Amino acid sequence: MKRRVVITACSAITPIGYGQQSIVESLRLGRSGIKPLRDDGLLTGHIHSRVFGTVDYPIDYAFNRSQRKTMGPVAYYACQVAKDVLEASGLSKESIASGRLGVAFGSTHGSPTVQRDIYQTFFQSLETEFSSIGAVDYLRSMVHTTAVNITRMFGITGRVIASSTACTTSSQAIGFGYEMIKFGVQDAMLCGGADEYDTTTVAVFDNLLACSVGYNDCPSRTPRPFDKKRDGLVVGEGGAAVLLEEYESAKQRGAAILGEVIGFACNNNGGDLILPNLDGITSTLRLALDDANIEAKEVDYISAHATATKMGDIIESQAIEAVYGQSPYVTGLKSYTGHTMGTCGAMELIMTLYMMAEDFLAPTLNLQEIDPRCARLNYTPEVIEASTRIAAIQNFAFGGVNTCLLIKNGNEVV
Amino acid sequence: MQEKILTILVQDFEFQEPGLDDNLRDDHGFDSIDAIELLGKIERILGFSLTREEKEKAMEIRTINDILDYLERIQQGRAQ
Repeated sequence: MKRRVVITACSAITPIGYGQQSIVESLRLGRSGIKPLRDDGLLTGHIHSRVFGTVDYPIDYAFNRSQRKTMGPVAYYACQVAKDVLEASGLSKESIASGRLGVAFGSTHGSPTVQRDIYQTFFQSLETEFSSIGAVDYLRSMVHTTAVNITRMFGITGRVIASSTACTTSSQAIGFGYEMIKFGVQDAMLCGGADEYDTTTVAVFDNLLACSVGYNDCPSRTPRPFDKKRDGLVVGEGGAAVLLEEYESAKQRGAAILGEVIGFACNNNGGDLILPNLDGITSTLRLALDDANIEAKEVDYISAHATATKMGDIIESQAIEAVYGQSPYVTGLKSYTGHTMGTCGAMELIMTLYMMAEDFLAPTLNLQEIDPRCARLNYTPEVIEASTRIAAIQNFAFGGVNTCLLIKNGNEVV
Repeated sequence: MQEKILTILVQDFEFQEPGLDDNLRDDHGFDSIDAIELLGKIERILGFSLTREEKEKAMEIRTINDILDYLERIQQGRAQ
């Protein structure tokens, strides 16, 4: 059984805005979401990179205590975008709880804020402080906290997939959700990812010399994907969710069809856990085309992973050239948001859906002089008014995990 | 002690107008996770850790009066 899978609702909390209107406005105006790193009283004094893709606007959460008690900051993002998606979908309470709707949602490592609080109690001398570590702290901090807080809040009883593969967390979630529906295991999947404000991740990448450090005084000028003067990634935060549904049932109930997931691939480099791998990435892009049963020339637009690390951008550009040549437009959307880790795949997919819906393509911010070591591609230097029929969303993670999602414009779904 | 417990239930657990004989679960949506969280707060009030047996006893609590009786028994037990 192979069924078609469409996207019927989406929502994203991003460093450049919340909701389609503000995100599109930022993309069109070239508004960066990179801000100075906030002091956490612990690690920031030791970190060289002083920039972060920050959600700095208030969000009107309306969760009651019963819902909040098992949620760390990461689950707030996750449940808010999940709530938006379910409300926008128009799905009935009965179908949400029917067992035919599942959840595929993840984060890089649960809630580091709560984990930090737990670790701090180890250094307390009071026995009562130690014994206060309990089930609630675990539920707030565990790796699958986003997925199960969503199931709990909305009474979802279907499959739960809690991918946690760093930068491919949410692209995997969407890909695995797509496969659940395609092969008839579920009829709908709520998919996405979230990651909260966290200096631990910044410290890790900083120690690996992967973070941007040269633009601390002018945060909006970094990251700089494919630019000659790029100096690394900028960690960011946010949450993003999409609702995937089986095409026939979505059409039958009159659901809005924002796009169709026509292909997905996920593989591993089978070796080094850090360095990007040209063969592995190239293979992923080709496998996705095979899954969609389309030719490379049919893809109009590529949302590149493009973290702005020195080697990552070069290898990805070479893989794109090998598979697609120089035809499709290529944008590095992290130039706006920073690298939102477990969120980035879903966030970049949603930004692409918005651009598809409004017939434009955003340029890569801060791309002033293309690095001659990157392959010659159709980089977007400015806003392009163009309709996109098929887009590729590419993401690659530590651990050698690669993903590619192929999305068809909702207006083209017949 | 009654005032302290009521303050915790109102401020931390968002109870609306708690009555001493209200059923914690039915009237205020108090569940097993809340019970574990409340025990942590009770330990802070008492200033010592509860034993596993004492914590298991707490799972029989159904009302605020039960919480107050439970605390009294714990304190009497420790005083002996």
